[in-house]
Amino acid sequence: MSKAKAGLLQGTLDMLILKALFLGPLHGYGVGQRIAQISGDELKIEEGSLYPGLYRLERRGWIESEWDVSENNQRAKFYKLTRAGRKQLIIEEQNWERLASATMKALRAN
Amino acid sequence: MSRVKPTVNFIHAWRHPDEIADEVEAELRFHVQMRTHSNIEKGMTPDEAELAARQSFGDFDQVKVSCCEIKRGFPFDLKRLRMGLYIAIACLAGGVSLWAVNMPHHNVFGVLWQLVAIAVLMRAFLIGRKRNNPHVD
Repeated sequence: MSKAKAGLLQGTLDMLILKALFLGPLHGYGVGQRIAQISGDELKIEEGSLYPGLYRLERRGWIESEWDVSENNQRAKFYKLTRAGRKQLIIEEQNWERLASATMKALRAN
Repeated sequence: MSRVKPTVNFIHAWRHPDEIADEVEAELRFHVQMRTHSNIEKGMTPDEAELAARQSFGDFDQVKVSCCEIKRGFPFDLKRLRMGLYIAIACLAGGVSLWAVNMPHHNVFGVLWQLVAIAVLMRAFLIGRKRNNPHVD
């Protein structure tokens, strides 16, 4: 699959954001960078779509935010995973593994 | 405890919509600035870098509006609230039924109250039915 065509399945973005924040607090830009980094630059997220995702997760109580100073001394909003978010990430990972395994099984069927 | 902060944020978003809009805008601008800076480091001119950053971000105003709407969105699962409402209606209906059965009906007022109770129960039933299936007339 080419990088340009590696789109995200619906609902996958939330899981990726949770995973990125599992590794430590980040601002929105950093979340996008970390997702690109942990996917080996295979997943390119539309930058603008990241923020509604972050706000949705915050509303659900899976992440929380606070304003702080960034690495280049600018005021930035940092996000971190809550305890509920950690639990949700485990659930999302399990669901994803189940779905991927079922899809592979279906694709390999003769 | 994870619901406390979203609830506080929800109330804050409704009380201070302008403040929230400014906050969202500042956050999105920070993102564009970071991307611009990164593009300059890759060798673009400042103008090219900013243009590319804005293009890769997408529709800034649309994203801002979406974020503000999400911020003002209800922080609870509406399905659970609805279920709670149905349980409350069911309890109320049960209470009204018990009261109607035990109400003395040897006078006009007793009979009248029983009719009112039946009407309330029927109305609650119809509302519940309509909410569960909006296609029912």
